[in-house]
Amino acid sequence: MKVHVKLAVCQGHARCEDLCPEVFSTDAIEGKCVINQPEFPPELEEKVRLAVRNCPEGALRITTGAAP
Amino acid sequence: MTGQFQPAPPGHVPPGLVVDFDFFHVPEGVTDPTQIWHDLARRNTPPIFYTPRNGGHWVFLNYSDIAEAYRNHEIFSTHQAPIPPMEPFPVLQPNGVDPPAHNVFRLLLAPMFTPLAVRKLTEGLRHRADRLIADFAARGECDFIADYAAKFPTSTFLELFGLPEARLPEFLRISKIFFRGTEPAARAANLAEIFAVLEELFREKARNPGNDIASAILATPDANGQQHAWHDILNCGFLLFVAGLDTVTNTMAYVWRYLAATTAARAHFRARLDDPAAFLLAIEELMRINAVSNIYRRVTHDCEFRGIHMKKNDRVVLPNTMANRDAKVFERPGEIDLTRKVNNHLTFGVGPHRCIGSHLAKREIMISLQEWLRHIPDFELADEQESAAAFGGPVMGFESLKLVWPAKT
Repeated sequence: MKVHVKLAVCQGHARCEDLCPEVFSTDAIEGKCVINQPEFPPELEEKVRLAVRNCPEGALRITTGAAP
Repeated sequence: MTGQFQPAPPGHVPPGLVVDFDFFHVPEGVTDPTQIWHDLARRNTPPIFYTPRNGGHWVFLNYSDIAEAYRNHEIFSTHQAPIPPMEPFPVLQPNGVDPPAHNVFRLLLAPMFTPLAVRKLTEGLRHRADRLIADFAARGECDFIADYAAKFPTSTFLELFGLPEARLPEFLRISKIFFRGTEPAARAANLAEIFAVLEELFREKARNPGNDIASAILATPDANGQQHAWHDILNCGFLLFVAGLDTVTNTMAYVWRYLAATTAARAHFRARLDDPAAFLLAIEELMRINAVSNIYRRVTHDCEFRGIHMKKNDRVVLPNTMANRDAKVFERPGEIDLTRKVNNHLTFGVGPHRCIGSHLAKREIMISLQEWLRHIPDFELADEQESAAAFGGPVMGFESLKLVWPAKT
């Protein structure tokens, strides 16, 4: 499984980084989402899903197949 | 500030959507000003309504409409939006400008307020919090607002601007008039004084640059490689003054009042002093439930929104406290759940004007609570509370909160 961010939609709330710092961080310029490991291991799935559900802008998506 | 009652709302407002509602007015005896909003919901008020009070304005009550107003800057502008209308009002940089012009100062400030940048401020802020609390911790009582909640955000502003703690009383005085003053002449004089202070501050930083936000604003060139216009620089300083003081003060006031009254919540945070992720998750819930800001927008052109005709220059109020209790978005919306897993609250807004200081604000509250609990592990509401006024308006709060704990002898 893979997690994607739409940077045009991300406004730098950084909830993803708070909730799953293993996968998400934020950049030093605008504080927008940086995905450190897009293909995350299964043991992080629950945390990644929580990060996705907590994005106030709906900027994150999980895909199971190829990138959209 | 209240008043300006217009008996007849403008002709484009359907009579069925008119509600007499003054969000500056908190009835005597009401200690929680957010209640005036939640009472509206209990009275089945239409989710979008118009009140003739305070110059006349729309109010959106639903999460989805409030979020859409935040995102849709083509209809809902931040430019010249104060309620009641106050002119001339400084064009806040960047908040009072819509995209794309908004992006210039937004991008200038952004690197100074990222989570990375805020983490670097942690030790300085912790030190300031520690000193403020140590001042009264042994005493066994304080007025939380006068002794801490008003001081710490102002102290944070001094830290950001590279100013010594010795200037705290001066900044407290001018911010108190700015946020609580109601007399027009005093407010105008106060605005002039704030700009005089900012002018002097930026001139000094231009002569002696330091490692602070004022110096960084001065040093960042515009698109043509020149220094930004002086009035924009001052207005940017003004935004940082306006946006970061009263909001944090009153959020902390709500949070500490809740904690003082709720034994289990104090224990929850005490047990997580060494678990920052769980501590922050609980802070996030307190951010949802204690949303003190009512945000203003101005309609840019005649248009329809959700089937309702709105006219250019109509004002709109967006009460975050209502969005954050919307049952369509939050499970058990009225319940405070310090382990709430999904929490898309609107306390810091969404969209292009998302509060740039949100990470700093949360960090200020987190550091304050951590330092507080280290000095004062348990505390309660004093039996005797001042019958101090609660206030509505753009930032809601109350003026006094007496706390007690075992004194050290």
